[in-house]
Amino acid sequence: MNTEALKDLLYKIADDQLILGHRNSEWTGFGPILEEDIAFSSMAQDKLGHSLAFYSLLHELGESDPDTIAFTRNANQFHNSQLVELPIGEYDFSLIRHFLFDNAEILRFDMLTRSSYTPITTVATKLKGEVKYHVLHANTMIKQLGSSTEEAIGRLQNSLNEALPYALGIFEPSKYEAELIADGIYEGEEKLKAAWLENIKKVLSQTQLELPDLTTITPKNGGRYGEHTEHLQPLLDEMAEVFKIDPTAEW
Amino acid sequence: MSLQSLDPRVNRLHLPENPSEPVAKTELDQLETYEVFHQKKENAAYTYVGPVHAPNEEVAFLFGKEQYSRRFACTGMWVAETRHVMVTPYTDEAVSVYDVIRINQENAMENGEKTAEAYEIFHLKKRGKAHAHVGTVTATSYEGALAEAKKQFGEMKPVVNVWVIKAADVFRSEADDKDIWNTTKDKMYREATAYRVMDKITKFKEEQAAK
Repeated sequence: MNTEALKDLLYKIADDQLILGHRNSEWTGFGPILEEDIAFSSMAQDKLGHSLAFYSLLHELGESDPDTIAFTRNANQFHNSQLVELPIGEYDFSLIRHFLFDNAEILRFDMLTRSSYTPITTVATKLKGEVKYHVLHANTMIKQLGSSTEEAIGRLQNSLNEALPYALGIFEPSKYEAELIADGIYEGEEKLKAAWLENIKKVLSQTQLELPDLTTITPKNGGRYGEHTEHLQPLLDEMAEVFKIDPTAEW
Repeated sequence: MSLQSLDPRVNRLHLPENPSEPVAKTELDQLETYEVFHQKKENAAYTYVGPVHAPNEEVAFLFGKEQYSRRFACTGMWVAETRHVMVTPYTDEAVSVYDVIRINQENAMENGEKTAEAYEIFHLKKRGKAHAHVGTVTATSYEGALAEAKKQFGEMKPVVNVWVIKAADVFRSEADDKDIWNTTKDKMYREATAYRVMDKITKFKEEQAAK
């Protein structure tokens, strides 16, 4: 088994969850309606819990402990896709991002439940139900709002157009793509992207939203290997602000 | 004469001396309400947990899940629009509601023209408690369902109130989606009680006092 390849896979999954979890938590107290405030806050907690599980797998492979990994790296050491680090914007953008991300995440978890690396299989099987609910939440709200008022549809369409190049960055291939597939650890980004596209089309076809022509879009890649937008470092600074006051403190 | 209250908050209301004619209260801009029932563990009866405001049953289901399933174990959820719930009168706890309700026999009679369908029956055992599902009956009307419920569940006591909902009006969680309820138990950080800080604060204060 190629440990470097495995770590590469675990890092991108965990970093996506941590950063999106943090972004979703920014809705706490500011949701457009109380129920969505609660939903985004709850999903934020779930995502942080998921990142902890994957950082723990990395720890077992010899990386630092989860807190150190989460709080002491700089932006260029993060492997998350650029999609998850973008600011929350208005609710329509956060909802579209949640929809695009979690529809990929559930398929990724599906693949991981079939992984040849048993610790991943165990974690993915245990947490998959929560991701399944995140998808149910996203799809229900997209179907509802994507066929409601002109304003809602217009806003969601703009956000979809804006988020899509970043969403395609989720599937930036790993340096170890061939090894991961050959070892049966992970079925690969190409396969994930194809299945994702099919699923989001199914949902969007039930709305008045239109999926832009993907062949005209250049994916915003680079996130998987430390290339990030200017939005990530301020997020990390804020997230680690309290931790850095006293890294040895016991909470 | 203008009314003066010693409570300054009351006088701030500036009640007019000659109130104008009463007008109809404007309708509230609100979504419809749905009633939410949860199942605490496999095979347990679905029990009423509360209402949510929502534009349709799918969204009501999401809101129900967020509001009523996060704090307790939950293995399934039903939602039904409030206007689809037929409610009997309430009785005292000494008397079963089945013994006092009058069922319109004509309406309750099997009506050949209407097709029979399933109705869900919920009992309230005690005021202040929650309605719980007791079973499903087949009938052609709400009255028929209630008459059938009296036959099947009339001996259960106490029953102070009954809700009847057409099974078709109940939106249910999918059996295939059972795993969405699997919130892992080791996430104690969700609960305020998980943060035990008093001993740390006491220790800190002692250290400060010793300096």
